[in-house]
Amino acid sequence: MGSCVEEEARRCGDGKKLRQRRPDVGEESSERHIHTERALAILSVTTINKLASKAMAAAGTELGWHGYCLLLALLAVCEVMAQQVCSRCPGDLRNGSEVASFCHSNPKLELKGRCCLRKQDGSEVIAGLDLWNCSLTHMDTELQNASTVVVLDLSENPLQNVSDSFFQGFVYLQYLALPLTLDCPGGNVSWENISVDTSERICSQQKDSCNNTAQLTLLCPENSLCTPDGPGMSQCLCAAGFHGYKCLREGSFPTIMFFGILSFVTATCSLLLWCTQRWKVKSS
Amino acid sequence: MKESFKGGHRTMARPSFSWRHAANRTFLSKYSHHHIAVFLLTFFSYALLHASRKTFSNVKVSLSSQWTSFPFNSSVFKVEPEEIWRSIHLFPNTATATLFLGLLDTIFLFSYAVGLFISGVIGDRLNMRWVLSFGMCSSALVMFVFGTVTEWLHFYNKIFYCTLWSMNGLLQSTCWPCVVAIMGNWFGKAGRGFIFGLWSACASVGNILGAFLASSVLLYGYEYSFLVTTSVQFAGGLIVVFGLLTSPKEVGFPEPAEEDENAGSEEDAHRPLIINSDSDEDEQNHSVEASDLVRQPQAIGFLQACCLPGVLLYSLAYACLKLVNYSFFFWLPFYLSNNFDWKEAEADQLSIWYDVGGIIGGTVQGLISDMLGKRAPVLTVSLVLAVGALYGYSRSPNNKPINAVIMTVTGFFIGGPSNIISSAISADLGRQDMIKDSSEALATVTGIVDGTGSIGAAVGQFLVSLIQDQLGWMWVFYFFILMTSLTVVFITPLLVREISALVQERRSRILAG
Repeated sequence: MGSCVEEEARRCGDGKKLRQRRPDVGEESSERHIHTERALAILSVTTINKLASKAMAAAGTELGWHGYCLLLALLAVCEVMAQQVCSRCPGDLRNGSEVASFCHSNPKLELKGRCCLRKQDGSEVIAGLDLWNCSLTHMDTELQNASTVVVLDLSENPLQNVSDSFFQGFVYLQYLALPLTLDCPGGNVSWENISVDTSERICSQQKDSCNNTAQLTLLCPENSLCTPDGPGMSQCLCAAGFHGYKCLREGSFPTIMFFGILSFVTATCSLLLWCTQRWKVKSS
Repeated sequence: MKESFKGGHRTMARPSFSWRHAANRTFLSKYSHHHIAVFLLTFFSYALLHASRKTFSNVKVSLSSQWTSFPFNSSVFKVEPEEIWRSIHLFPNTATATLFLGLLDTIFLFSYAVGLFISGVIGDRLNMRWVLSFGMCSSALVMFVFGTVTEWLHFYNKIFYCTLWSMNGLLQSTCWPCVVAIMGNWFGKAGRGFIFGLWSACASVGNILGAFLASSVLLYGYEYSFLVTTSVQFAGGLIVVFGLLTSPKEVGFPEPAEEDENAGSEEDAHRPLIINSDSDEDEQNHSVEASDLVRQPQAIGFLQACCLPGVLLYSLAYACLKLVNYSFFFWLPFYLSNNFDWKEAEADQLSIWYDVGGIIGGTVQGLISDMLGKRAPVLTVSLVLAVGALYGYSRSPNNKPINAVIMTVTGFFIGGPSNIISSAISADLGRQDMIKDSSEALATVTGIVDGTGSIGAAVGQFLVSLIQDQLGWMWVFYFFILMTSLTVVFITPLLVREISALVQERRSRILAG
């Protein structure tokens, strides 16, 4: 568990570095680059939050005090970066919009700029985001930090060609308003309800891509289970008890016990043999 | 040891004792607890070495899985996330990874062979306890880096792997000449065939131990298989430093006598074990100690060792025989699962019977050669029968018990002689009368014999895969038969010499009495 948390923390840091170097990676950059960056960005926010609670539990025992502090600091950094998107466009939530009604419906949600935030595993993540009329021409990595969003409004933006994979990791998304130029991510089969009016296309109620009868679902390899990963997307995560590359590893090696027994046996044998065999050897 | 000799003497003084009983008693009491400790230490040193070698072949599937990305990789279905399924692509697919693993095997065998020629020479010049311990510990470290550290650091690099594996071959090669030489120092020619036959089971025991250790922790990841076997090997190296006596001289015992000439009849074969009179023994003891004080025996040169009678011929014979033997070691499970469609785990288990046959064959044939006093005739008979066994095995029906029986018989006739040449005969050659007391040659000679053999084995791995690919398995067996026959051809001059010596001995005995 300790190493797992460290790895996540590292990824978060990497993601930050990448972002600083290239503040907005557009469609024109290499696919591979986008892919890595996206993976890092998603991991930095969603996975770290998913892992946070487990990490907190394990931190005290396995990471030690310093590790615990470091983890908290990294979580805080990730959080701040994720919330930058809230102040990207001026103004607050639009009255009467779907995002506003969602955010006001639950008093636990905290309003901030064009976002509302919710508490998840001890940190704040974006739950609703209204980027209506925000002059967005493409989706950048900053927006991907909002992958925890439930209600998202992107309408009235000059967006062109947003690839489906942009929405990878948007597993909570239940309401998505898009300009008419864009189709619902994952296609019509990935949403229960799609409606079109004069200015926007609304995709609502995301389907579970692992139990979707309308499309071919991914068969996950051995030791892994299918998990939804955004509209029309799924991923194979290691089943409980398995970890590592290709989920090939199970459990953790009893290092202390093994080396304890081995050193004891070695010391005993050495001592025994020294006394019985080499005691009388004349040094030449 | 002193007491045991006296015991032997006492039995001589009592004529009422049955001869065989006395011989048995002296056979056992001849060996002190030092002998047992040396036997076990050298046995397990080499067994641990073979265990970590076996680890590599047992985790090959995990390794090739670790080095490749998930195969199911069309543009429509990509197994996500990339970190788990597609982040490592050292090789495009499993087939190329398997080829690379085969390459590593070949690299290992070649560097092992080269190392044997060198390390035998080193072993005779330095303290063999330190050489053996160094070989075990350093190769354990190299394998630890190969299998565990690279995985922990996620550092995968083909050239780095090849470098480490050739280093591993060189370092591992220091051990075999040393353990054979140490065994040769402690156990004299009388009874050597039997003792060494039993002792050379260490490789097979190591294989079984390695398979067990590696598979029991494989679920934690292949790196832990390496961690466990290399740690145990390292610990073994440490124990060797503390516990191993390289020669009886270290505790003031005489070295065992190499009684070669009067081992013609059954009675004579046992004679050196019981006729050490007190005066003889004292003289020997004295002389050894004296020579110890005066000068250390000079180590023999590499070329000089090659020119010792029998070394070259046995080396060539062993090259052919080890080729066949190692081909069985590497290819038998693959052949079984390929040819009979048996499951891989079943084939792995079944192939143990070949090892079992080899252990029994080595011991029984060693015992017979002890009683006969000559080894070449036993080897020749066994190898001629091996040709028949090979032919029979190539026509084995698709039936596991029958196959296992023929496999054991084949192991008996091929693994047996192979074990004898690599251990007992190497020791005989390194301690023969020509260089007795004048030089240290044991490790050098063992290195030459086993090194030539390993070259044969390395070439064989390549040839077997080639022949199997081009002509089919039947031709592989014909190739094995050819190689076994070639072994007989190389042994024939030695056979002729030993037979004529035997005949001459008989004749002189008849004339004398």
